[in-house]
Amino acid sequence: MSAAPSMAAALAASLPVQQAAPAPVAPTYEAIPASMAKVIDIEAEIPVESVQLDGLVVTKIIKHSREAPSSSAHGLLLGLDLDGTLEVSNSFPLPHHAGDEDDKSTKSVARYQAQMLRSLKEVQSDDSVVGFYQASTMGAFFSQALIDTQAIHQDKLRHGGIVVVHDITQTARGNASFRAFRLTKAFLDAFKKNNFSAPSLIDHRLTFSTILEEIPVKIRTNALLNSFLDTLTTPTQSHLPDASPAVASTSSLPPSFSTLDIGAIGLIRNLEQVNDALDAYRTEEGNLAYLQRQIAREKSRADAYIAKRKEENATRVAQGLAPLPEEDVSRLFKIPPEPSRLESMLLLGQVDAYGKSLAGITSAGLVKMYAAKASSDI
Amino acid sequence: MPLGQPSSAVHVQNVPAGSHSSQPRTPTLVTLHPVALFSILDHYLRRMDKQERVIGTLLGVRNDSGEVEVRSSYAVVHKETAELVAVDMEYHRTMYELHHRVHLKEAIIGWYSTGSNLDTYSALIQNFYAQETAPHPAVHIALNTGVEEGQEPGVKAYVSSPVGVHPKPENCVFVPVPCEFRFHDAERSGLDLLTSDSASPLSDLETLAESLKAVSSMLDRVLGYVRSVLSGEVKGDPAVGRYLMDTFGADTGELEKGGFRDSLQDTLMVSYLAELVRSQAEVSSRLALVTAS
Repeated sequence: MSAAPSMAAALAASLPVQQAAPAPVAPTYEAIPASMAKVIDIEAEIPVESVQLDGLVVTKIIKHSREAPSSSAHGLLLGLDLDGTLEVSNSFPLPHHAGDEDDKSTKSVARYQAQMLRSLKEVQSDDSVVGFYQASTMGAFFSQALIDTQAIHQDKLRHGGIVVVHDITQTARGNASFRAFRLTKAFLDAFKKNNFSAPSLIDHRLTFSTILEEIPVKIRTNALLNSFLDTLTTPTQSHLPDASPAVASTSSLPPSFSTLDIGAIGLIRNLEQVNDALDAYRTEEGNLAYLQRQIAREKSRADAYIAKRKEENATRVAQGLAPLPEEDVSRLFKIPPEPSRLESMLLLGQVDAYGKSLAGITSAGLVKMYAAKASSDI
Repeated sequence: MPLGQPSSAVHVQNVPAGSHSSQPRTPTLVTLHPVALFSILDHYLRRMDKQERVIGTLLGVRNDSGEVEVRSSYAVVHKETAELVAVDMEYHRTMYELHHRVHLKEAIIGWYSTGSNLDTYSALIQNFYAQETAPHPAVHIALNTGVEEGQEPGVKAYVSSPVGVHPKPENCVFVPVPCEFRFHDAERSGLDLLTSDSASPLSDLETLAESLKAVSSMLDRVLGYVRSVLSGEVKGDPAVGRYLMDTFGADTGELEKGGFRDSLQDTLMVSYLAELVRSQAEVSSRLALVTAS
């Protein structure tokens, strides 16, 4: 996929350069008092342990994910890190560039981003990028593009960016899901060397479950938002007498019980997705096996050649002649490099994610069905 | 679902029969989406100390039936003193271009301001926005944050019409339009998350448990009421009794029980399958590491 790396490169070019800490003005400077040391963390020493999403970010992400065609919604997160918690206070969506018009579209995305950041700064919004968000369906978010972008962010941003994944299907079922991830160190090492062959995987002990590490997410609504939401949810009495229960007391935001609906929505699609992912994985594994066989073949030929050489040399020495030089075998037999197992690892991760969401749906469905069975004596 | 204090006023509008949908009409209803509302509140929080109120642009779509949906909003730099008011039009244009690239269908609908006073400056700004939204009338939303004393939090929407012998830009009459809060199902669960007490997103089973607890407490209340009526303490309200009978009297006799049982079996099987797939994936990934070269 040539589009992904170049978009990632354009993003890297457009990210703001790290500002150096302002030099002290007075010749004798005071050390930052210990009580403030945690707030002013210039060297980014305190590691990020949790992510705090503002209510506004939550609604914005949901809205964008719903409106974007297919699950291609992604955008940037803005905020600040404070004492080990990454506070995300705003976000904006990135335009979806269809097709692979490499240069033009990536440049325009970078321009859009720069302009948006500048505009937001003028209205006193936070303008430091702390990560990006991505919408996904059924919990399958392992994709090459996501990992590329995250790797770049983790390189350039202050605390290594985080990626917030929002699951559209789970939200549609009634339970908004936001999860935050970060690439593990082991994976980053392997990614930097761009070496995903089997031996390197063994070295780093990489399986699909150790690519990303999850960070706990908290949701925060500021006081103003809270009070406004309270006003919306308090029911108001209708002035009409003899009103039916539906309109007697209304509020702008009545409680919803959509989670209690029984229905196998999404189960079939989920199973289909699992099937597709497994097929893709099998194809990938087939490719890998083919490459492995090729490598094995080349190696065996090289080994045979060396063995023959040794034999010849032995016979020659026995006959008293000078031994033939052992030529550099690698120049004669071109052994192809070990194949990268990244794709198959990602596919396995997808399969696992589908399985997990399937398990979640069915367990909730089972609870509801047993409850219905008990209460209505079916 | 009205925002703020409900009024008993009824909104009447004369709609000529057979009117073309492309003709600009006064909106009959303004619906507000949560994103727009929360953006406005966030902008109000971030205003500088000297600013009393903040303004910004509203974006959304217009329906054929005269309904205007406000889907999102963004802040606009503006300065207001006793003598003059200045709105940064460049900024407004730029932000609209940026926004349009992502959400193609949304057009400029009008503008918002926090604080519910409508003065000359509002009329001037309304005039500016009317030029932007021509030929459709610009909608003005006044959001009261309830921060100041004696003011209830709420949202009111207006359109303007010129008043006076010679219409001047500084004079106009703001005609109220009914305003409602509307959201989609997906946004619904997001709002639930925000209004719930827990700080972090819950898993499926936990939200299910919360809903069940809420239903259980409601059933307890109803049970307590029915018991007190039966024991004669409280005089029963026949209307309430009838509604209760309608709700609880659903008869499951004719339901097809076989289908339900089959569905239950299917769900159990799928659950087992899911666990199987997951363990297979895990084993396979570890096998890939084990193969010695």
